[in-house]
Amino acid sequence: MPDEQLDPVIHAQARLRVVATLASLGARDRISFPRLQKLLDMTAGNLSTHLRRLEEADYVQITKTHEGRTPATYVELTLAGRLAFERYTQSLRALLGGTS
Amino acid sequence: MTTEQPRDASPAGADEAPDPADALAIIAAQRARAEGTRPSSTWIFGLWGIAWLVGYGAMWLTARDDRRPSVLAVVVAIGLGLVAVTLTIVHVLRRTHGIAGAGARQGALYGWAWPIGFAAQSLIVAGLGRAGASDEVTGLAANAIAALVVGLLYLAGGLLWQDTPMYVIGGWMALVGAAAALTGLPGSYLVMALAGGGGMLVLGLVSRLRSRA
Repeated sequence: MPDEQLDPVIHAQARLRVVATLASLGARDRISFPRLQKLLDMTAGNLSTHLRRLEEADYVQITKTHEGRTPATYVELTLAGRLAFERYTQSLRALLGGTS
Repeated sequence: MTTEQPRDASPAGADEAPDPADALAIIAAQRARAEGTRPSSTWIFGLWGIAWLVGYGAMWLTARDDRRPSVLAVVVAIGLGLVAVTLTIVHVLRRTHGIAGAGARQGALYGWAWPIGFAAQSLIVAGLGRAGASDEVTGLAANAIAALVVGLLYLAGGLLWQDTPMYVIGGWMALVGAAAALTGLPGSYLVMALAGGGGMLVLGLVSRLRSRA
């Protein structure tokens, strides 16, 4: 069973998309919830559910702040999340037979 | 954009584990999507390359006989510069909307360095004029300092983002300005148009090919 080697938190269609998107941002950057939602074409409720799961695993950090008077939510990958994603892509490549 | 499964329609499907090949495809697709949160160097170099090529080209064409570009050519060049500044700002703001953090802050500070550099350039040129410099001296200094500002900022950008082509074009632009000053008027305008504007267009093309590879 290849799934045994793949991190179950990341290895689900929707969360993989979330993590891959966050990993493509600059290492010290965070993204606003609505912009992330747009990049993923997900509903707010669905995205929140997956972000909660990722936050429980300490893979993402969610910051609530204010821009003027409007509340704003920012999401970023933690160092642990970034490392987990790297390990995940390495396992994928290994599973597909790429040794390098 | 191939066979995407309905995502929001079935949260169960969204929780499904993709097979490894699909997973890699998903990662590649999202990476491409996230490219849209960064300014496109192809777009910016293309825009500025055209502005310089046409603006300085027009000045050269009308300055060949009496070394002075026509008023119309100067207006066109300045107008193109202003349009390019505006489009660059709009492009960068749209692309980076909703992105924050240390990297975004670094990008914003870098962005502000451009108007600061060009404000300094125009003040220096004005100062030279007030001190009695001839039109020829003022024209040469304006070109060379503009190219120096562009060149040094691209060098800095190349360092910040470990972007070698950007660093190379920075060195090129600084030297183009120096060469344009040595050429004298009206050839100076031609050097700026072809080596400067053309150089940026080539770089835009290179960065496009690289991003596809």
